[in-house]
Amino acid sequence: MPEEPDAGIQERLDALDRLLEHRVRLAICVLLTRYDRLSFSRLKDATGETDGSLGAHMKRLEDAGYVRVTKRFINRKPVTWYALTAAGRAALAGHLAALESLIDEAR
Amino acid sequence: MESTDRIGEDLEYVRGVVARTRGGAAPRSIWYLWAAISFVGLAMTDFAPERVGIFWLVAGPAGFVASMALGWRSSRAAGVESRRDADAHMLHWGGMMLAIFLLVPLAATGPLSGPAMGQAVLVIVALGYFLAGVHMARPFMWVAPLVAAGYGLTFLLDQWAWTIAGALVALGLVVTARVSARA
Repeated sequence: MPEEPDAGIQERLDALDRLLEHRVRLAICVLLTRYDRLSFSRLKDATGETDGSLGAHMKRLEDAGYVRVTKRFINRKPVTWYALTAAGRAALAGHLAALESLIDEAR
Repeated sequence: MESTDRIGEDLEYVRGVVARTRGGAAPRSIWYLWAAISFVGLAMTDFAPERVGIFWLVAGPAGFVASMALGWRSSRAAGVESRRDADAHMLHWGGMMLAIFLLVPLAATGPLSGPAMGQAVLVIVALGYFLAGVHMARPFMWVAPLVAAGYGLTFLLDQWAWTIAGALVALGLVVTARVSARA
């Protein structure tokens, strides 16, 4: 039978944002705090995900209101850009704080 | 503990993604532009010293504006928009240009006469590239020793010193662009 985590750790695990527990979505949100906007292809290069997989991650972040999508033409080609919303920024800050506290607990 | 191990791996992955997203020091077009401007501007001191002032008065600000436009276009083509990076570059290189323009009264009133003005400009430019390498992107730093070497040559050589210095600076910019800059 697996060992139950103690109450303190369980509380910190519960504070993690479920959507950001996936490392690809976490990386995307971290990147979007550093840059104002990133294109889909740039995010694909950075994460190494396939079009389908990245598209699914972006859809989940968009549905949660964490990222804002804009489509613009560059050199007559449509480019999809993503920016972090205030809600996404707040969710990431909370998730990182919970992670930090978990790591501190484990030390 | 399994969950903290996984968190560690995830954070390592995030670190890798962030590192992969960093672009080069600047697009190659900007390095080539300044290689051409530097070579012509420095070589003119040997060939047409009376026109050097007006050349830099026009080419300096024009090159600065062109660099901003090229940087913005290249960044958008690469799928990145960052006001923070744009501001950092504008303040750094704009500050360097302002420092150079502040030397103009010294040249006009006498204390920095003739080649001394050019030598002072080379010192400011070398420091500008060095600090850009420290604070923005490491490849900028590689240009600083070549600019400093060009500065040294202006004391050592009696003939063609400025042309050789210009060639050295241009070569440094082109090689750095080929090795490290983004297309």
